[in-house]
Amino acid sequence: MSLIEVKNLGFTYGVGTPFEKKAVDNLSLSINEGEVVGLIGHTGSGKSTFAQMLNGLIKPTEGQVLIDGTDIWAKPKEIRKIRFKVGMVFQYPEYQLFDETVYKDISFGPRNKGLSENEINKTVRKAAEFVSLDDSLLEKSPFDLSGGEKRRAAIAGVIAMDPDVLVLDEPTAGLDPKGRDVLLAQIMGYHRERKNTIILISHSMEDVARIADRIMVMNRGRLEMIDTPKVVFSRVERLRSMGLRVPQITRIMTELKQKGYEFSDGILTVDQAFDEIVGLLKKEGKL
Amino acid sequence: MSFISAENVKFSYDEQNRNVLDDVSLKIKKGEFVALLGHNGCGKSTMAKMLNAMLLPEWGVVYVDNMDTSDEKLTYEIRSNVGLVLQNPDNQLVAGVIEEDVAFGPENLGVEPQEIRRRVDDALKAVGMYEYRTHAPHKLSGGQKQRVAIAGILAMEPSCIVFDEPTAMLDPNGREEVMKAIQSLHDKGITIVLITHYMNEAVLADRVIVMDKGRILTQGKPRDVFSEVPVLKRHRLDVPQATELAYRLIGAGVRFTDMPLNAEECVKLLEEVLG
Repeated sequence: MSLIEVKNLGFTYGVGTPFEKKAVDNLSLSINEGEVVGLIGHTGSGKSTFAQMLNGLIKPTEGQVLIDGTDIWAKPKEIRKIRFKVGMVFQYPEYQLFDETVYKDISFGPRNKGLSENEINKTVRKAAEFVSLDDSLLEKSPFDLSGGEKRRAAIAGVIAMDPDVLVLDEPTAGLDPKGRDVLLAQIMGYHRERKNTIILISHSMEDVARIADRIMVMNRGRLEMIDTPKVVFSRVERLRSMGLRVPQITRIMTELKQKGYEFSDGILTVDQAFDEIVGLLKKEGKL
Repeated sequence: MSFISAENVKFSYDEQNRNVLDDVSLKIKKGEFVALLGHNGCGKSTMAKMLNAMLLPEWGVVYVDNMDTSDEKLTYEIRSNVGLVLQNPDNQLVAGVIEEDVAFGPENLGVEPQEIRRRVDDALKAVGMYEYRTHAPHKLSGGQKQRVAIAGILAMEPSCIVFDEPTAMLDPNGREEVMKAIQSLHDKGITIVLITHYMNEAVLADRVIVMDKGRILTQGKPRDVFSEVPVLKRHRLDVPQATELAYRLIGAGVRFTDMPLNAEECVKLLEEVLG
């Protein structure tokens, strides 16, 4: 059974005003437990609005979000419970750090969940470990950390609530290339251990190509595609018309294939491309 | 003759801390397009702020068009000569109508109204946003907003523009729009300093400067710098996927006649290899 079921979901900002705008339009999909879903789309395509409806930060104007088969708005007074199930990491989460120490900041979620001091301690340390924050940093003020450390501390604060679904809105924006790789690896390490569902919003086609089981593409509030990275990134022109691109390596291999070379479809990483080219050269006795 | 000349610049934000800039010397020619790379915290944004007297060196000296940035009498002239475009377009737009936003700079410089009109129109045309001149900025896409921010700088007619990660918050289309605008400014003879974490953008520059721990680690033509794949990776940087693929194939014994920096070059070179 699918963990998240979205039915005819819609949201309109400023209903009845001259600024009325449909941000999400008749969106339906289901996401399985343990899936990693990449969410791409141009600025203003409705990605963030959609994400905020998944944990009840925004109430849909049309349709439903079901988690474990229950409409999250069935009992509006209990919407808070959903936020422990679906954790949100916003863009530039380091701006949301607020407490005196990193430890207190990360413990805010589990404490509100009503865990015992002992459990809180374990959860905080485990969350810090997932994002490789050294124990020695936990007693520091979050404002004394470096930019990258701050971001990881903020993410640890959400991980500490142990959500079934973790939604991350552009977690790597502004990080240097190595920082991007490391953070993605940490998120995936956490995913492999907890087997939870991950929804990753990103403008980096290379990143989503690398880690997603499926990619959902939003365009002007609508869901245009939801499929494997291979299928999504084989639609080069369609993506371009929506303001998106395919990873550079995919473009190179697609163009070579169109010129008649025998490569597989939907090459998504440099590793795959390397293997394909070396394989072909060896087959033809050129290497 | 260099347009910008930094000599032995040292700087730290507080006294106990290490030098964020540790004896940096660099020269930038008039009309040159330079990309400044380096990991988070390497000092590149601090260096950028040295170039229009937002920060002053604690040691050493920075000249912009022969003007010493530490001479307070010249600060005004230096800042109207070197414009700065930042990461978040929303923090850089001030007015409710696009053309008013672009006029903000020249108005504050005391430019004549007719001249302001001409500059605003020219600046908006240069970034392809002229048709939107009477729109409200908040309705634009990220790439469009960023181009309006660039027009606002252009209207002050600077001879150099420093871009500090101008595409970090944009979607792929927005990144391409902004890079096209930057290239066309370079074609018009404006000196460009581009700070970026996207290697695909850095390859467009005439020269790449890589910073590390407040010093210049290496510099040169993009093709030469990006051929040093292990050096870049060691310093938390990356190379375009096209370059990485070629580098790894060369390591496996494949012969390349040149190092590709983008998809087109890579396709062409691979066609040679594959025959």
